[in-house]
Amino acid sequence: MTTKTEITAATLAGALATALTLVSASAEMGGEKADKEKCYGVSLKGQNDCAAGAGTSCAGSSKVDYDGSIWKYVPKGTCTTIKTPNGVGSLKAVKS
Amino acid sequence: MTPHVFQNHWQSHWQNHWAQALLDPAGAPPPGVARQAGTAPDRRFAVYRNNVMVSLTGALAARFPAVKRIVGDEFFDSAARAFASKNPPRSPLMMTYGEEFPDFIARLDAASAVPYLADVARLEAARTRAYHADDAAPLTAADLAGVSQETLFDLRFVLHPSLELVASRFPVVTIWAMNAGDLELAEITDWSGETALIVRPALDVEVRRPPPGAAAFLASLAAGDRLGDAAAAALAQSADFDLAVNLAALFSGGLAIDAAAAKDDPQ
Repeated sequence: MTTKTEITAATLAGALATALTLVSASAEMGGEKADKEKCYGVSLKGQNDCAAGAGTSCAGSSKVDYDGSIWKYVPKGTCTTIKTPNGVGSLKAVKS
Repeated sequence: MTPHVFQNHWQSHWQNHWAQALLDPAGAPPPGVARQAGTAPDRRFAVYRNNVMVSLTGALAARFPAVKRIVGDEFFDSAARAFASKNPPRSPLMMTYGEEFPDFIARLDAASAVPYLADVARLEAARTRAYHADDAAPLTAADLAGVSQETLFDLRFVLHPSLELVASRFPVVTIWAMNAGDLELAEITDWSGETALIVRPALDVEVRRPPPGAAAFLASLAAGDRLGDAAAAALAQSADFDLAVNLAALFSGGLAIDAAAAKDDPQ
């Protein structure tokens, strides 16, 4: 097979070694993503990441602002600090 | 015939009538729909029929917002109604509704002026699937640190369950991004085809535009090819393909979840 002569084990090993360096470099530069959490009751209508409830078909489909049964992804640790007209966000679904 | 079987037969017969009547705006209400008082049954049934249609077209609008933006509300609504009347949902999970909508658009004469529309719909459908795909912990570079040089060629990757590629002869990622609010609307001067990479390594669905070599590399890995063969396929597609950069992207992008060396072809 001709491809085997182009791509040798040494080529692959060299590429993998370079790749490992690139990955650790980007991790050191803060390339890792911050964790997120599901936050209920903070989403504006149509802006939800997912909706739990009758009459909706999930992401982007909520019909009411700040619906307590509907969540949006927010940076981890910030959910309960988000202020809405109905109080702060909740990590659990809120019955309205 | 036992009474039980008879009842099932009658029930499915009646349900078929009901289901057909629901999706046919010109049809009569199903037999057996009567009134005790008030509005005529056909008008009452029309309300029910309209609710079904509105919820189905609403589910399509929620899943295909960029398609809707490209063609406008009126066109989208009529296309969605035409689709829904021929394709009733087979699952109560509305987030999965519209799997066949991209193919429906591809066959739609009225959409022939926007030949890229079906591919934009394919991209949007893949985004929803990625959103609801299984979670999986991405493979890290450290997981491969112990692999010996001899087995590298035969390494096969398991890509993330949410990962999909949508290849298009149109600049599908650019068109989608412009109509999803990720890019400013502007005139597209380069109409070369693009492949969309859709993946959800953590919580967010990402849409990327890998260059031709990288797209061929991923497609080959996704097909279960060995690393050596995938690299050769990528180089055949584009002489600029940089294996080290693409391996790094595989790890840092969370695109793969497992790797194992196996000499035999799968199956």
